[in-house]
Amino acid sequence: MFARADSKPGTAQQCAGSSSIARDWRNLAIPLLTCMLAAHAPETAAQSTATASTGELKQLSLDELMNVEVTSVARGPQRLLQAPAAIQVITAEDIHRSGATSLPEALRLADNLEVAQINAHDWAISARGFNANLANKLLVLIDGRVVYTPLYGGVLWNVQDCPLEDIDRIEVISGPGGTLWGANAVNGVINIVTKSAADTQGLYASGAGGEQLREQEDLRYGTRLGTAALRVYGKYTDYGDEVTSAGGNAQDAWHMARGGFRVDGEASAEDRWTLQGDLYNGTEEDGAIGDAGQSGGNVLGRWTHSASGGNSLSLQVYYDHTFLSQPFAASPPAQYYTGFPAASLTDNLDTTDLDFQDSFLWGARQRLTWGLEYRATHEADFDPSVVRFTPAALDQALYSGFLQDEILLATSVSLTIGSKLEHNDYSGFETEPSVRIRWNLSSEQLVWAAVSRAVRTPSRYDHDLVVPSGLVDAPPPYQFPSAYLTGNPDFKPETLIAYEAGYRAVLGSKLTGSLSTFYNDYQNLRSTSLTPTTATYVFPYPVVFENNLEGDTYGLELSASYQMREWWRLHLGYDLLRENIHVKAGATDATGATNETADPQQQVVLRSSMDLPRGVTLDAALRWVDTVWINNGPTGGAVVGIVPSYFGLDSRLAWKVSRTLELSVTGQNLLHDHHPEYGYPSPTREEIVRSVFARITWGY
Amino acid sequence: MGAVAPVAEYQLKAVFLFNFAHFVEWPPGALTADRAPFVIGVLGKDPFGNSLDEVVRGEAVGGHPLAVERYADATRLRNCQILFIPAAELAHLPEILESLKGRSVLTVTEGPAPRGVVIALLKEESRIRLRIDLAAAKANNLTISSKLLRPAEIVGAGS
Repeated sequence: MFARADSKPGTAQQCAGSSSIARDWRNLAIPLLTCMLAAHAPETAAQSTATASTGELKQLSLDELMNVEVTSVARGPQRLLQAPAAIQVITAEDIHRSGATSLPEALRLADNLEVAQINAHDWAISARGFNANLANKLLVLIDGRVVYTPLYGGVLWNVQDCPLEDIDRIEVISGPGGTLWGANAVNGVINIVTKSAADTQGLYASGAGGEQLREQEDLRYGTRLGTAALRVYGKYTDYGDEVTSAGGNAQDAWHMARGGFRVDGEASAEDRWTLQGDLYNGTEEDGAIGDAGQSGGNVLGRWTHSASGGNSLSLQVYYDHTFLSQPFAASPPAQYYTGFPAASLTDNLDTTDLDFQDSFLWGARQRLTWGLEYRATHEADFDPSVVRFTPAALDQALYSGFLQDEILLATSVSLTIGSKLEHNDYSGFETEPSVRIRWNLSSEQLVWAAVSRAVRTPSRYDHDLVVPSGLVDAPPPYQFPSAYLTGNPDFKPETLIAYEAGYRAVLGSKLTGSLSTFYNDYQNLRSTSLTPTTATYVFPYPVVFENNLEGDTYGLELSASYQMREWWRLHLGYDLLRENIHVKAGATDATGATNETADPQQQVVLRSSMDLPRGVTLDAALRWVDTVWINNGPTGGAVVGIVPSYFGLDSRLAWKVSRTLELSVTGQNLLHDHHPEYGYPSPTREEIVRSVFARITWGY
Repeated sequence: MGAVAPVAEYQLKAVFLFNFAHFVEWPPGALTADRAPFVIGVLGKDPFGNSLDEVVRGEAVGGHPLAVERYADATRLRNCQILFIPAAELAHLPEILESLKGRSVLTVTEGPAPRGVVIALLKEESRIRLRIDLAAAKANNLTISSKLLRPAEIVGAGS
């Protein structure tokens, strides 16, 4: 979870005369950072028009026919042409052909995300900016289970994974989704949906190996259990070390093992149920200070009733446990300094969530959807030294309800209005209303617009953090600060009013595209305030979180797919983002309003997918990511460094030897021996090395 | 991993209809003349584009050439052996079933169909599954091959 590294000496450190403190707390702060790239947009209708010929299909048995996948021609665009939001869908085929080995790599396929790899195990992922340290404005769900951590409102991407071949699709929405999804769905929602167990029957095995991806094995077996279907899986991945910008070994190799199951059944023609669970255990190797670990598990049950006329009810309950441990090296005592023993920051989080939703037609023109959710978390943190949360253990409850009404104003025009009302223990009641209008110019064209409010509620990081200074025995009359950085019990939610508009079209049989634009107005963004100094209190610490930033962002997201030939598809994605974040009039910020953003202004991706003769496929994705301006953390002052713009190229060549056997070679980051994608410039900033691996896949 | 790359939904559904012609037995009087066409009818707005025509082109079943006919609504139905009822037409299902009464027509629809239609093509996740209503098949005098029944989900058995 907590990345090491990337620690240029900050002011805190200089002040304390202890070389490790600033770095240590930044270890906490730096973890998931940011940046971007993009990759492809999958609402490609055209992509599926040219595949199997009718003649081929007629040769198949009924069993085989029932195993043929229907493409996004039907699933994607048709549904997306009804969706008044900036949504992109990554399909199972996109993921397979990309050669991705983990969820974050697969998310590079969404044009509307910023994806930057920080080191071997940490990623910075955001939408529409704010991909700063501890990016916190994205909501991520895996099969309905919310996976951002209440510790700081972000996602631990080294923990969240699943067998990529089991994913049915990933829906990526840029822009707010608070009305349906609630707090944290500020700048985007990522919804990862795995396949029904009925669709993963039989045996599947895959093994890959190379230099950077040292090994990866996937094993899955699916069978019928009476009328229900079951699958069980195991996945093991071992990644090698990256390098530092000084050229040294970054010592960040890591491995993760996970296993799980899913059962899907039908109680009647209208009632379906799902039971699923996962267990995982991972280790980030570090010879110097000891290994960091992540482990946990979850179990989820869902019941869905679908009646005729499109009415539906669903009830879902899950329990999730995560455990994280991050060692910190000892910091020896010195004059005026107590020092800190070697210790591990641990975080134990238990989440129980109950969710109910109901959707029904009300009269001829309205569809009402409403829901209730209750989430209880118990989080216990422990670290006797450098980074603390007070109280160390905390129980929190989140209650929410939402109501949404979709009104058909005319045959091709509908208006959706709704709001979420949510109560959290830190800031009380929050509302997240939205209005969306959808106008289908034709069956192939959609114009939409929306105004929404969304809220980023306080996290433990904002509220309960303490980074102690260890400074003692100030010579009278001087006084030393007891901490470098603290949270703020009065921290308020960050709020957003978003104005969006978009256009989506299937133009002829070959071209699909979408364009989304937005103007976001933010209030009460997190800021950092220095403690005032006096003649005897000379260090301006602790730095305290406040809500003194505000500002606006605007930009656009463009995606287009073109079927050049029956066998060759091209995809283009382009994002533009402008951010104007500033300090409120009369207030101050220790980092000059630079601490919440770390984003490229532009990113471009061009992807090519070729179906060659004899079962050979060739895929390539070229991306360009603009310069990222990034500061050195909340106590680092208003100093900004850069991550240089870069081109990146990934490619995969695969040969389907037979119906059951596929061989492939994947290359990632082919243009560079190594290059940085994120992090404040320093000799220890990590750079991502080229990775080439071979894979053999067998399945029936 | 299927052997075949993903295909368009209605291309696949068209191939299913073609298969049904081979795995269902119609009662002796259903096709009168020797070379009378075996007709697959599509009711209402045709979602297949040209894929259904492509599938049946040059094909025959039991000596009867396959043909596609399209009917604007239930009142214009003519003699056919298979009738595809698109999801959009399900609202008129009672009238449709009424007008088919006593005729040996294999009715096929899509989505979660109410009872009375013989075969439903259900899209689940990204694949097509079959649901067969045996009671409806029996009422229409159709015998369904076990090859078709085996991979399908059966309702209306024992009635």
